[in-house]
Amino acid sequence: MTKNFLEINNVDFNISGTTKVKNVSFSIQNEGDIICLLGPSGIGKTTILRTIAGLEKINNGTITINNKTISSKKIHMEPEDRNISLAFQENSLFPHYNVEKNILIGTEKKSKKKKKINPKEIINFLNLKKILNKYPHEISAGEAQRASLARSLVSNPDLLLLDEPLSNVDQSFKEEIQVELKQLLSKSKITTIIVTHDSYEAFYLGSKCGIILNKQLKQFDDPYNVYHFPNSVEVVNFLNRGILIPAKVISENSLENKDLGIIQGNFVKHYPNGSDVKLLLQPEDLEHDDKSNLKLEVVDRKFRGTNFIYTLKTESNLQIPVFVHSHHIHQHEVDEKFGIKRPIHIDHIVCF
Amino acid sequence: MFSNKLNLWFLSSVLISFLVIIPILTVSLSFFEDTSRYFEILKNTFLYEYIFNSLSLLVGVLILTFILGVGSAYIVSFYKFPGVNFFKWALILSFAIPPYIYAYSLFAFFDNYGTAFTILRNIFGEGEYNQHIPKFDGMFGLILSISFSLYAYVYILARSSFLYQSQNLIELGKNLGFSKIKSFFSVILPAARPAIVAGLSLVAMETLAEFGAVDFFSVNTLTTGIYNAWITFDDLAFANRISFFLLLFIFILFLTENLSRKKAKYHLDSRGGFKQKEKTKLSGVNSFFAFSFCFLLFFLSFLFPLGQMLYWTIKFPENLFDVNVINLLLNTLYLVTLSSFVLITFALISNYGNRVSKNKTLNFLSTLSISGYAIPGVILAVAFITFIAWFDNNIIKSLGFLSIKKVFIGSILGLVIVYFIRFYSLAFNGIKSGYEKINVSVDESAYLLGYSKRKTFTNIHIPYLRNSLLFVVILISLEIIRELPITLVLRPFNFETFATTAYISASEDMLEAAAVPSLFLILIAAFFITISSNYILKEHND
Repeated sequence: MTKNFLEINNVDFNISGTTKVKNVSFSIQNEGDIICLLGPSGIGKTTILRTIAGLEKINNGTITINNKTISSKKIHMEPEDRNISLAFQENSLFPHYNVEKNILIGTEKKSKKKKKINPKEIINFLNLKKILNKYPHEISAGEAQRASLARSLVSNPDLLLLDEPLSNVDQSFKEEIQVELKQLLSKSKITTIIVTHDSYEAFYLGSKCGIILNKQLKQFDDPYNVYHFPNSVEVVNFLNRGILIPAKVISENSLENKDLGIIQGNFVKHYPNGSDVKLLLQPEDLEHDDKSNLKLEVVDRKFRGTNFIYTLKTESNLQIPVFVHSHHIHQHEVDEKFGIKRPIHIDHIVCF
Repeated sequence: MFSNKLNLWFLSSVLISFLVIIPILTVSLSFFEDTSRYFEILKNTFLYEYIFNSLSLLVGVLILTFILGVGSAYIVSFYKFPGVNFFKWALILSFAIPPYIYAYSLFAFFDNYGTAFTILRNIFGEGEYNQHIPKFDGMFGLILSISFSLYAYVYILARSSFLYQSQNLIELGKNLGFSKIKSFFSVILPAARPAIVAGLSLVAMETLAEFGAVDFFSVNTLTTGIYNAWITFDDLAFANRISFFLLLFIFILFLTENLSRKKAKYHLDSRGGFKQKEKTKLSGVNSFFAFSFCFLLFFLSFLFPLGQMLYWTIKFPENLFDVNVINLLLNTLYLVTLSSFVLITFALISNYGNRVSKNKTLNFLSTLSISGYAIPGVILAVAFITFIAWFDNNIIKSLGFLSIKKVFIGSILGLVIVYFIRFYSLAFNGIKSGYEKINVSVDESAYLLGYSKRKTFTNIHIPYLRNSLLFVVILISLEIIRELPITLVLRPFNFETFATTAYISASEDMLEAAAVPSLFLILIAAFFITISSNYILKEHND
């Protein structure tokens, strides 16, 4: 018997007769854990949530909660019997009730959990006080999404499923909600699966992140590992936070690139000397140094508030991203030369 | 939870589809049956006349309704002038006048020594006015009667399409330097094409199904042919054979409309990119013309027949006492209540079934079920009688049971069943459009909040659908109050409605006596239209 809170074993997730994600296995170890599923639009993230909620059936594999099978080829527990709450991405508020009634309807659900959630607290934290008397058609998409989130939270479910919960929320308010949501979920011990395509949101909220690409769960790991130790080229490309450059392994702790020269560091995986590999170079891996004799041409500069991301062109036409704090003493314009500190040292070397 | 096994909504959908298929099958099978010699006689004499007249009538009505409907919709949607808000509503009142009552009014007004004559005599004194008063009877009168009664279908649909046309599209026309006329023909009209074609299709179907006015003007069309074959020659098989031609007509019409439209979407969604149009304010001569056009249309389509019926009721008050208004009202209400209840119950079950089961067969059955609206009432009535007679002779009697004919023919039950087939699409589509506004995720949220399907239906769906249900009841009431051929053929002995009383008086050449039931019919229908006008003319997609 498994000891995990939620266990998904070899499940194919289907919708309308089409398999969206194949042979998925992952688990949530403890009650109260938050995990995030990341992937591009239309990949099947929502289908996974709908299936866990019981809105779609499965033909193979099993889904168990607290050692009880809720979905398999033969077993299908009805959604109303699962005590799982799903906050939909689109407006799913009851159209003939005002926002307050819509939220409080969540409290009518019989929850076995001892710890109750105070609706007032949720209404305050999601800033819904002003719209309590309004009807769903009178509020914005962001407000509807927050009200829907509130309704799911007050129902105090065993498992909370959030489908892009903050996609319509203003950027200014988003970070504040993320912080409070994380605190609230952890305080209330509500196990949560969040689906998002925002990697920063996933890395912040989730203790584990699953990356879904090409009909598969490609990686399921800690956010740090997903970012720094991606397990496939597809994950690297999806996260889009670095490039793969050609290099040759020259020793146990170094490799060489034609344009950048020798790069030192710790290999995550062992490669024999002389192997031709693709090295993952992330923006934080290179350091700026005006005095360096390794100069590359600036082809683009993106201002990101706290930092700049420079795109530098090498002799063999590689375009390398480099991170520089925006407090850096001087800026480099496009076409100017940009110095790279030598020797290049990367803490963990990821190659494919 | 979404099982495909036999369940309530599946069985009810099968039952409804079966009911709709009965007349189509009966008519189609009867086509190959032997008929009496009347068919040979008629084939050599009147059949081609029936077809030619039906076609001529169709073309005439379509042209006139297009001009009246699109013209008035364009004026009230794009321009501001005195009375525009009144006309926006007033122009749908023509729905309260069935074509046969319009025909009575038209005939009575222009008849020798009719109302026009009386007006001229009162103004100018005695004179030989009859020879100068035009006569609107025969095919021309028929086209006018049907067009003024039905143009509102085109008006309503064209207007709603004009309202939701993107301002950007119109501004684009201006930007390209189009004149108002060129903008209308190159941008506005093509964008509204699906709505206009849909409106014209409804008009076409109603025209082919029209019985009262056609019969009154003695124009031989396929519809009157069916009725006469049955009533005059007592030849059901022949009636069904003509019905087959008429059904073919309607089928071709359906096909043409669908093929011409395909999946093209000509107007933008109101969500996203929709910008409410700024109406152009008219002044001077233009304002006068816009006002005059709308007023004339309102006058001719509503005030004129209402006035004529009112005039006769006042002129011949004794008729008021000959007609048992209370009895007619109760009969009409009885039919309306019973039919609405049955229609709404089944339409709700079917819609709910479609929503939760996502079953393709169920979806197909629903599409089939709503096609009854395209079948003319006369055909439905005759085919129903044919089927019951066949069923009674071949099944019931052979099993040794008593005849069931009396249970279904000349009974309220039979009448309600055929109303059901004819008006099921109104109930189904009315509820469906209400359901479409409730996101499926609303149901799913309810399940996840622990609601059973029944609780979701009673606590979420029904309260939200309340307005749609009310609107459906009003539409059904309007149709049943005005309905003539089905009621005429299938009603129990001595059971009359306002429509049948008016028809019987008119067919007995007592037009003045037809005025009282006609007037009540118009007033009740106008009342229903007025209370539902907010729905019919709604300007927001909420």
